[in-house]
Amino acid sequence: MINLLKAGKGILSSGRITGCLWLLIILLGFPLLNTCTSDTDKPTVKLEIRNHLFNPSEVAIPADTEVKLVIYNRDSSPEEFESYLLNRKKVIMGNSKAVIFIGPLPAGEYPFFGEFHPKTAQGKIIAQ
Amino acid sequence: MKSIRIFLLITLLSIIMLVNFVSALHGYRDTVAEAQRLFDRQLGASARLLADMPVASGAERVVAQPEAMVMQVWSEDKKLLVRSADAPVKPLSEFAVGFKEINFSGYRWRSLTEYFPDNGHWIIVAERSDLRYQLADKLAIAAVLPILLGLPVAGLLIWFVVGRGLSSLRKLAEALHSKRAEDLTPLPECSPPEELLPVVQSINALLTRLQASFERERRFSADAAHELRTPIAAIQVHAHNLESEFKGTGQKLIPASLVKLEDSVHRMAHLVEQMLDLFRTTPEHYPARFEMLNLHALAREVLAEEYPIFAQRKQQVELLGGRVFIRGDRFALTILLKNLLHNAAKYTPVAGRIKVSTTLVKEDILLRVEDSGPGIPEEEYTRIFERFYRIGGDRHQSTVPGCGLGLSIVQHIARLHGAIIELGQSSFGHGLSVTIRFTKVKEDERD
Amino acid sequence: MLLTSVMVVLREVLEVALLLSVLLAATRLLELRARWFYIALLLGGCFAVIYGENLAKISQAFGGVGQELVNAGISIFIYILLIVVAVLLLVNWHKKHYKLLTMQFVMLLAVTMAIMREGSEIYVYLTSFWLHPPLLPSVMIGALLGAGIGYSLSALFYYLLCGLSQRYTLGISCIFLTILAAGMSLQASQLLIQADLLPAQEPLWDSSRLLEENSIAGQLFYAISGYEATPTPLEVVVYVGSIVIMLGIIAGVYYRISRD
Repeated sequence: MINLLKAGKGILSSGRITGCLWLLIILLGFPLLNTCTSDTDKPTVKLEIRNHLFNPSEVAIPADTEVKLVIYNRDSSPEEFESYLLNRKKVIMGNSKAVIFIGPLPAGEYPFFGEFHPKTAQGKIIAQ
Repeated sequence: MKSIRIFLLITLLSIIMLVNFVSALHGYRDTVAEAQRLFDRQLGASARLLADMPVASGAERVVAQPEAMVMQVWSEDKKLLVRSADAPVKPLSEFAVGFKEINFSGYRWRSLTEYFPDNGHWIIVAERSDLRYQLADKLAIAAVLPILLGLPVAGLLIWFVVGRGLSSLRKLAEALHSKRAEDLTPLPECSPPEELLPVVQSINALLTRLQASFERERRFSADAAHELRTPIAAIQVHAHNLESEFKGTGQKLIPASLVKLEDSVHRMAHLVEQMLDLFRTTPEHYPARFEMLNLHALAREVLAEEYPIFAQRKQQVELLGGRVFIRGDRFALTILLKNLLHNAAKYTPVAGRIKVSTTLVKEDILLRVEDSGPGIPEEEYTRIFERFYRIGGDRHQSTVPGCGLGLSIVQHIARLHGAIIELGQSSFGHGLSVTIRFTKVKEDERD
Repeated sequence: MLLTSVMVVLREVLEVALLLSVLLAATRLLELRARWFYIALLLGGCFAVIYGENLAKISQAFGGVGQELVNAGISIFIYILLIVVAVLLLVNWHKKHYKLLTMQFVMLLAVTMAIMREGSEIYVYLTSFWLHPPLLPSVMIGALLGAGIGYSLSALFYYLLCGLSQRYTLGISCIFLTILAAGMSLQASQLLIQADLLPAQEPLWDSSRLLEENSIAGQLFYAISGYEATPTPLEVVVYVGSIVIMLGIIAGVYYRISRD
């Protein structure tokens, strides 16, 4: 990787471009700064997948607040939590849990579904 | 594009796949939707059936129902009258007419709520969604599967069809490939496809032009050689006369220039003769008269005729082998033998040995001339057939005049007889061995 | 199940296949051998299985956001690799034989990473139905249809790229590499938001009425450019920034080359 970057830099030795690269690195480093803010104060909502069904299938959360969604998959097969409106997508392996952060959301309904069993695994988040 | 065939296969298959798969998906979706509508109608029929059922307005009744379907009958005042065994005591869904998706007892259900004003009953029936979808899936899959299975067949067919379509191109390539370097006859125009016709025509036009120019060159050279013959003969005569005149004046010593002149004229005469032989023996133009002849006897004749060359160089010549008969042109084979013998004599040192043999090996008749000269390195084997090519340039130690056309003439004559020339090491340990291999050819193949 | 299966497989296949067709066209343009491509397919497939098998463990790492972190890391890595590819492609177009081996290695790495990421999802998806026989035919047929559509689209795209005159192939390859790369960094930013490592914001706009993400066209746009119907301001900034940075680097290199 470093060699590749060096190879790249060999060509891009002009100052402006190196500056751009630095900007990129700073941009990528930004997440690390953000981790300092702990998520303990965020409200946690628990959700369960059993038999390819979300339980509860309707989750009420406070509007305009960031929420930590903990999803337990009680099935032996994996499921993918997905929501187009929330822009969230995550594979949850069988018999395990996953953490997804959502919000802050304006009041409204946000449907989500299990990508692997979309006919049955359906639900929505209601921000109010 | 590396291969037209692969390009066509991939692009055609991709287009077929894309169109078919997308339409298959549409078909699938429609089939599933149709099946769902059918199931919904069945659900409605079940609800109406229940509505007509006489229900005692007393205690709650529990009836057995087939698996994967539940029902509840509620009175006007929201009291549960009848329910199936699997149904909960709570309302399956809220009391609003219509279809709805609900979750209970660990499954997702499609429910229908109906209100019948005749008897004021609310009827809720529900079917398991996953089973409905599985059933619909099964129906729809049956429609999609053939498309998927047909694809490999389509691929195979495209492969063959494209191969067939390109076969005339391949044939053209083969026809061009199998053409000998000197064969400038036009390609057979045996009805090539429209697209290839211009290619064949252009190639043929090119070949015709090329042949015409070759023919011009050949004729010019032959004519030039022929025209040179007379003046050279005249010079030879004059040089001879000059020599006699010198001798007549009583001078003992003939000037060195005169000797050199005679030598040069002799070489020039030889060159012209060789050139004429070369053009005369061009396989495409030589008017061959094939007859059955004894190669061994012919070799003996030529050897006897050419014996003075060997005697002059004190070389020992032997003729081995027995009578072998081939169909050949006597005149051409004489030229061939002469050239081979001249070459052997030329490169064999004074008092060296030369071996000529005619043998029958299996079906082939071999004429071999071996000398005890320095030989030729193997990398030179292909070059020595080039016209005017001489190993080490012009400065080889030989008193016999040479011009580098001998082996070209031999090659012409060998080809005329459909024979192959093989070069190798001679059995003397050093020196060259030239073998002319006359393969047994069917009569009709040699025209 | 078939439609779902088609969507899941098509989305993943398209993302990789489009990248592959652009890189293969670049290989063709520089008259390189496509050996790296076969190695990348093989390696990517192997890594996809390994990654898929260990996804449960990876997910639990870093407080439950391991999956997001690893995927975001891969996406950023691919973004950088694509910049290097675009630069080397430009340089080689003008001055032949400059670090061609490095370029092939970078392409191999990028494709391997992409296949590993997308392939692992397909692997997890398909293997989850292995124990559920009634749905298996439907899922498998769907997977084949999805893979077929993805393959066809990118094969045609590849021949389209190769069929253009060489100058256009170069320009369009560079543009597509930029868009694909920006899509990668957009995905990375989304994942980091999901993992709460970047601030979450309200969407800037909602274009789902114009083009739904869940349609085939939406998936196609998602695969090409990382289309997002409801992006947050940060995502827009990252996307535009990625494009500007990459185009800036390409323009800089182009300027330097044409000046020499």
